Amino acid sequence: MGPTWQPVPPPPGTSNTMAAPYPAPAYTPVQVRQTFGQPYPTTSQPSPPYAFGLYPPHSITPTASYTNPPPATMNPAPAPAQEMEPPKKKVDWPISVRHYVQRSFLPANMDPTVTREEMEAKLKETITQANIKDLMFSVDWSTMSLPQEMIREERERSRKLPQEMRQLHIPDNMSPTRPVAYSPPYANSGSKKRKSSDLSESAPWRAGNGGGRLEDRVSFTSDRGQQQQSAQEPAAPATTSAKSKFQKQLEKRQKRFDGGYKSTYRSPSPPPSTGPVVGTCQDLEKRYLRLTAPPIPSKVRPEPVLRQALEHVKRKWKSEQNYNYACDQFKSIRQDLTVQLIRNEFTVEVYEIHARIALEKGDIGEYNQCQTQLKALYQRGLKGRETEFKAYRILYFIYSANRTALNDVLADLTPAEKKDAAIKHALDVRSALALGNYHRFFRLYNDTPKMGAYLMDMFVVRERLAALCNICKAYLPSVPLRFVTEELYFESDSEAAQFILDHAGREVLVEKDDGDVIVKTREACRPFEAARAAAFGRIDIKGQI
Amino acid sequence: MDALFSDFADAQREGNGNKLAQTISPAHSDEKLRAIWKSCNAHSVKDVLKHHIHNSSSGKNRLPQEEVKGWVEVFFCYWKAIDDILAVQDSATNGKASHSSWTTVYESWKDLLSALHRGYLSNGFEAWTIPCLYVAGKHLRVFAIKADRERNSNASFDSAAAANFEDDFNPESEQNQKLEDCARQLNRVFNLCLSDRAPIDESRKWGIYYVINLLFKTYFKLNSATLSKNVLKALSAGKGDMPPLIAFPKSQQVTFNYYEGVLHFLEENYVEAERHLTEAWNLCHKGAMANKELILTYLIPCHLLTTHTLPSQKLLEPYPRLQRLFAPLAQCIKKGELHAFDLALQDGEDEFVKRRIYLTLERGRDIALRNLLRKVFIAGGFEEAKEEGAKPVRRSRVSIAEFAAAISLGSQETIDNDEVECLLANMIYKNLMKGYISRERGMVVLSKNGAFPGTGV
Repeated sequence: MGPTWQPVPPPPGTSNTMAAPYPAPAYTPVQVRQTFGQPYPTTSQPSPPYAFGLYPPHSITPTASYTNPPPATMNPAPAPAQEMEPPKKKVDWPISVRHYVQRSFLPANMDPTVTREEMEAKLKETITQANIKDLMFSVDWSTMSLPQEMIREERERSRKLPQEMRQLHIPDNMSPTRPVAYSPPYANSGSKKRKSSDLSESAPWRAGNGGGRLEDRVSFTSDRGQQQQSAQEPAAPATTSAKSKFQKQLEKRQKRFDGGYKSTYRSPSPPPSTGPVVGTCQDLEKRYLRLTAPPIPSKVRPEPVLRQALEHVKRKWKSEQNYNYACDQFKSIRQDLTVQLIRNEFTVEVYEIHARIALEKGDIGEYNQCQTQLKALYQRGLKGRETEFKAYRILYFIYSANRTALNDVLADLTPAEKKDAAIKHALDVRSALALGNYHRFFRLYNDTPKMGAYLMDMFVVRERLAALCNICKAYLPSVPLRFVTEELYFESDSEAAQFILDHAGREVLVEKDDGDVIVKTREACRPFEAARAAAFGRIDIKGQI
Repeated sequence: MDALFSDFADAQREGNGNKLAQTISPAHSDEKLRAIWKSCNAHSVKDVLKHHIHNSSSGKNRLPQEEVKGWVEVFFCYWKAIDDILAVQDSATNGKASHSSWTTVYESWKDLLSALHRGYLSNGFEAWTIPCLYVAGKHLRVFAIKADRERNSNASFDSAAAANFEDDFNPESEQNQKLEDCARQLNRVFNLCLSDRAPIDESRKWGIYYVINLLFKTYFKLNSATLSKNVLKALSAGKGDMPPLIAFPKSQQVTFNYYEGVLHFLEENYVEAERHLTEAWNLCHKGAMANKELILTYLIPCHLLTTHTLPSQKLLEPYPRLQRLFAPLAQCIKKGELHAFDLALQDGEDEFVKRRIYLTLERGRDIALRNLLRKVFIAGGFEEAKEEGAKPVRRSRVSIAEFAAAISLGSQETIDNDEVECLLANMIYKNLMKGYISRERGMVVLSKNGAFPGTGV
């Protein structure tokens, strides 16, 4: 749970409460992130306004700049909320007030139960009051309650009476816009039936909810009224769903504390930035760990360090050839690039090198991850060894017998690309196999550019079996072993003999009087056919007519 | 508006789903749409609709309150959608800039579909009304395509790229945003139909093939035909209590068979593909030339591989495009001109790849080769008769060199004997040629009866 707590704006007012020994059952435990479904809350924040409005449409423009403040910003953006409430008389707002307004609209402090209008009204009220009373410069704005907190407190006060009866605690993710009466912890303690009472509470028309006191119903209807009001803002429900789980938890926790305590946030350090992380870590080596919480800048390396790290890993790879080490390092470099949203030619280089190393060591899983990323990166117009990797893609689809993907690749190739040596080779391989021309296929195998041979190695066995099936059916009564060796590009006669022994047994090889070894084709037909079917497995079922 | 609701009332009285569906179609004349739109304003529209719908039924046929509520919602969405459609059309004709776009039309039409969806789930819409779902879904797809096209022609590249910070950046999905959303909506409708547990004669399952066909179309357009497999899987899982395809209109049968055939085709399952495509071909309306052309695009390559037959001149006659597509290849295959075949394939590559038939047609080379080898065999003539009056026997031992010469005749490139042997081995392996290769003597010994099965020699 540790890391999830980290980026909460350190609220000194509440720091005690956090540690306070309240009976745990009174709280819904904060879950640790289990999945990467939405990898990093930071990335979901600056999403385009049109994709999922984070706020009701009418407020998109002003908030947009807030949802995406420059990370670790030194000079905060001008507060747009001010533009929205032009002061009646020309007042030079002190910087502390500006900060206060700005803080109010920080996404981390936003409360879905408080609409923007309410907040703006409250802000205006607070500031105007201060101005009138001439307290503008005497008030400590940095500790001033945020408007949403004030509003919540007011609501809380207004329903003080029926409170005990209404331990309404609807999980946020279920009903983000529903104004939730958060009862103080003591009222909740030991209430293990919260869930079932929630259910009945959420349906006020149902008989027998909590005694049905008049006040309950009154305050509830007012709740419902608000609910409907907010429901009319179409984007509101999407608001929370678009927010990351992490952020929801933040809000949830904040609300929980606000419910009972007039917490005043004194936040000298800026709240967690919602833009991409900018790392400060200077280590060359870093172990890869799957993130279960938002990245911490001090553990993320910035690009210049990553460049050095890459060189470092490359050197080590050359001297030590330790794939586990290299893979781990590459994954952490990739992770650091991803969380910082670094997508440039350097990113391409990292993925390319990792792809090659993975290929060399037969780590198809990692290779595929890299290849997928590379495709997207190239599509963005980033430069790299695009043709080389396109050729690998073709070879890979041959291996996986993915016909649809092959067709797509063919469709995507430009005439210039078709002339590229590596791509042309891959295309020739494809066509040779499609036509059953094993003769040409093995010539091509022998002459594979770059690292394509590692990919071809993955299907050369099954193609040898297929070729041997062909040969055994077509030639009678026998073929010399040497013919097989040459035609199927075995390193030596003994390697070819071993291959035949492995798949068809001893009987099919005969040593003649003059010392030449021959393969008895008729006898070898069946075992090779069986071995071939096994090697092609599922793939073989298709394509037969 | 009155006309609209007199149709609505008729449809409700008769229980005529298609007629009902017409009342929410946007495919009416401009005047009619405008008339509907003008007959009320935003302020009064709901009341007007409620009044009309309430009065459209009477006696024991009277619509239950819940249903009335549902239809009011539907028609309210319809009215708003018309508003948007007219606005877009106006701005197109007048060249006036306006805030409305096909995207807004799409969104409001989506609301309509959702209102219908809700109608079935909670307002008790009856199963006979499902043609409405089809009409709504059909037009949702149309609007989605229009919205995507419009956005792509306006949007600058930067905005799309800059706004997207997701890790799995995919420009293609950016381009088909609305259509992908449309696929999701249609999938909801699919599940709505599939999951209905009412007895079969009043079940929404009667909408199933309509929706499936819309989904297929959408998936193919999105270049993710593979997603259709999930639909087929869900369908075959519930096969037992599904109305038979044959009970649906022919148009739907043809469409479904066509797509299922093409899906098999893409998986190289040519026998199944041929079965479905033939079914589609037989049922297809004789005037539906475009559809017939589509079916033939896949049926002809299928046929080439399964039966080694080529399309006749007569078959291709009415389809100039297919003629251009297949005639050169067919000619080469027929004459056994290997090199010309390669050139023709190369020539049409872009077109073939686009239609996803390249990889299949490529395999037609085997047939061209078979025909060429057969010519060599025939040119070899007959053995000297051993005795007078005996039936002449063809010379069945042919040297590899002879075949090699024939193969390199077209391209004028020498081809090494091992490769020729390889090609011959393939022919034998695939049963296109009967006989065996004698490596020792550099000879092919062909079968005396039927060296080339199915070709008369």
